[in-house]
Amino acid sequence: MSQAARVAIVSGAARARLHDLGDGLAIRPGHRTAAAWRVFTSMHTALAMILCLAVLAVIGTLVIQAPTGVATDRRAYAAWLEAIRPRYGRWTALLDDLQLFSVFSSIWFRSLVVGLTTSTMACSANRFRRLWRAAVHPRTRMTAAFYDRAPSSASVRTLVDPDAALRDLRRIFNGHRFRVVVEREGDDVHIYAERFRWAPFGSLLAHLSLVLILVGGLVGSTWGFRNPQLAVPVGSRVDVGNGTGLTVEARSFTDSYYADGRPSDFASDLVVYRDGVPVAGQIVRVNQPLRYDGITIYQSYFGPTAVMQVAEPSGRVVFEGGVPLEWVSTDGRHVIGRIALPDTGLTVYVIGVASGEVDPNVRPGQMQLATYLTGSEGGPIATQVVSQGRAVKFAGLDVTFIRERQFTGLIAVRDPGLPLVWGGAAFLVGGLFLVLFFRNRRTWARIRRIAGRSEVLVGATSRHDSAFGADFERLVDEIKLALTGPSAT
Amino acid sequence: MFKMSEYSFTAGLLCVGLASASYLLGFVWARLAHGTSVPALAGAGVAGGTVTVPGGTVTVPGSGSSPSGLAVYGSLLGWLGLAFLTASLLSRTIAVGHGPFANMYEFSVAFAWGVVAIDLAFERHYRQRVFGLVAMPVALGLLLYATTIPATAEPLVPALQNNLLLTVHVAVAIVAYGTFAVAFAAAILYLIQPAGGRPGLPRPDLLDEISYRAVVIGFPFLTLAIVLGAVWAEVAWASYWSWDPKETASLATWLIYAAYLHARAVRGWRGSPAARLLVLGFAATLFTYFGNLFFGGLHSYSGLDQP
Repeated sequence: MSQAARVAIVSGAARARLHDLGDGLAIRPGHRTAAAWRVFTSMHTALAMILCLAVLAVIGTLVIQAPTGVATDRRAYAAWLEAIRPRYGRWTALLDDLQLFSVFSSIWFRSLVVGLTTSTMACSANRFRRLWRAAVHPRTRMTAAFYDRAPSSASVRTLVDPDAALRDLRRIFNGHRFRVVVEREGDDVHIYAERFRWAPFGSLLAHLSLVLILVGGLVGSTWGFRNPQLAVPVGSRVDVGNGTGLTVEARSFTDSYYADGRPSDFASDLVVYRDGVPVAGQIVRVNQPLRYDGITIYQSYFGPTAVMQVAEPSGRVVFEGGVPLEWVSTDGRHVIGRIALPDTGLTVYVIGVASGEVDPNVRPGQMQLATYLTGSEGGPIATQVVSQGRAVKFAGLDVTFIRERQFTGLIAVRDPGLPLVWGGAAFLVGGLFLVLFFRNRRTWARIRRIAGRSEVLVGATSRHDSAFGADFERLVDEIKLALTGPSAT
Repeated sequence: MFKMSEYSFTAGLLCVGLASASYLLGFVWARLAHGTSVPALAGAGVAGGTVTVPGGTVTVPGSGSSPSGLAVYGSLLGWLGLAFLTASLLSRTIAVGHGPFANMYEFSVAFAWGVVAIDLAFERHYRQRVFGLVAMPVALGLLLYATTIPATAEPLVPALQNNLLLTVHVAVAIVAYGTFAVAFAAAILYLIQPAGGRPGLPRPDLLDEISYRAVVIGFPFLTLAIVLGAVWAEVAWASYWSWDPKETASLATWLIYAAYLHARAVRGWRGSPAARLLVLGFAATLFTYFGNLFFGGLHSYSGLDQP
């Protein structure tokens, strides 16, 4: 049906046809809805949106993208923007205004995804009924004019009567694994032969699976969580948080290297506890995450830990444990960890020398401490270098740097959208292989009685498919051979 | 084994080089032969190419003059090159103990292998010895590029230590890239012809169809490669999709070929515009492929040294 005809029907409010058009969707016969429907089911629109999305993807590869954490934090983003300004010069402001530093959360990207999703669903709704009818109630009778005009057609004068011709045709079609539907009309026999009847639904499956994947992504970001920085000092337990009620303990961490210095293995021996009871445990490596109760724990990074003890003058210990030195100073020379002491209103920063760096003020076996009033913007109220194993009086506290150990940096994720994403991905691949590798082949034949013998007309429609053309030729040759005998050719 | 891989590589490189030269010379020869006189042109139209019969096309072989003779050599050399490249990849697989897909050198050889293999498969299936005209130089370029980068086999960094996914993810991508190279070759041959076709080259609508068949094979494979990449990313990088530059570039490539498949169903996009999309698509494929070199990101396998 042409687009013009489709619109005419909708505005004419021809109810039966309208239902046919909308495939059960509640569409009121209004001009605007009709126009929107036409736009969203138009292949031109889909094509334009796909190409625009491709352009955005290319921009996303060429223009540096703000890291995930940075893009959502105003201050961090401003600092990041300054850092990249030398690279983009006066284009920086324009690119920022156009949201091209975070293309995949930009208004352009979101609009296109919404538009394409709508279009995909509208097209699928539009096509479903047509495909269903073609598969379940195919047109089995064709007129003589069809055989005249079909892109592939042939006519064979046989030496046998129609019944014998039908038997042979059925055998030949079955031999090609076509299903055969036979209808009689007076003396004429109509044959409809079809192969890979359900393959066209692969296209529908592939299109809708994209929607499923998007829904999966949405479910994951709405109801899941991701903690990309879960630093667990070796020998300590750290809460996974995010309402999981889980605690993870690192029993050991080893990093191994090849002779040329490239890493060969990172392995954390982890135990997961719920209410103090161990519930899971394994050696977690880069390609071997730990999965428990919908939570996945990945190996991600590692670094040094300062094992510290902080006590009040009364002797009450306010902190004891490993402090992961998980931040790196902007010059890359120091690694920094933090102890928050909510009772005292103080925050103590523990500063070590990054591996491979030398600081004459902080020698091996030493840490520098800097104490701030929690929440204040001012400078440190006290700084001091401490040596391993010796308690020092510092900002009114007794602080001991006990020893240095490692921490393992983990990522903890819960993604309830994952089954939808994998299901969608499987449908996508399956659907594409189905529709593109198993092409639906439809052939019609008509047997006419002519003076005790018969004439067979064969015809097929096939778009852009010369492989089918060759197959059709072979089919016709076979029919000729069977019905006329080798001598007749 | 390592030595054998290197020798086979060199032999393969030579064969593909000579095959490219044969195809190109054959083509130039044919052009000169057809360009000299009008009767020759008229005769050539009958001598070779494709003719239409109801329901399809049939290829009529050329009448065995020197041009097609050279293409035969090109094709033979291509098969020989394919054999050497296969030997090179196999011996390297044995030598390093995993699919030869772990660094740029290995991947370049594998990519070239895919281009040659799928080109020859298409030439055989469609009985057209012409895609090599474009595909063989592409493969040659990849192999020459491979000679400029270190061929040393380094042990795998932790992120790559997943033999199954490393092998399948990349092997599937190779199939996709190879078919896209053939689609590109057919598109180029389409675009250099006037509407009515040119003697010595396949008819434009046959080329159009062959491009389409190539994409029809390549697109599901590219999709599978991306999906397998997502599966691996979920295991190794904690997220099935991170907008890593290589992921993004592969998405752009996927979108361009998706656009191509839709374009063929839209009036006004068939023919030249669709062929241009294929050229764009192959550019995107190469961009995705070489992306490792300049856009960093997770696919640069930088290891675990972030803070």
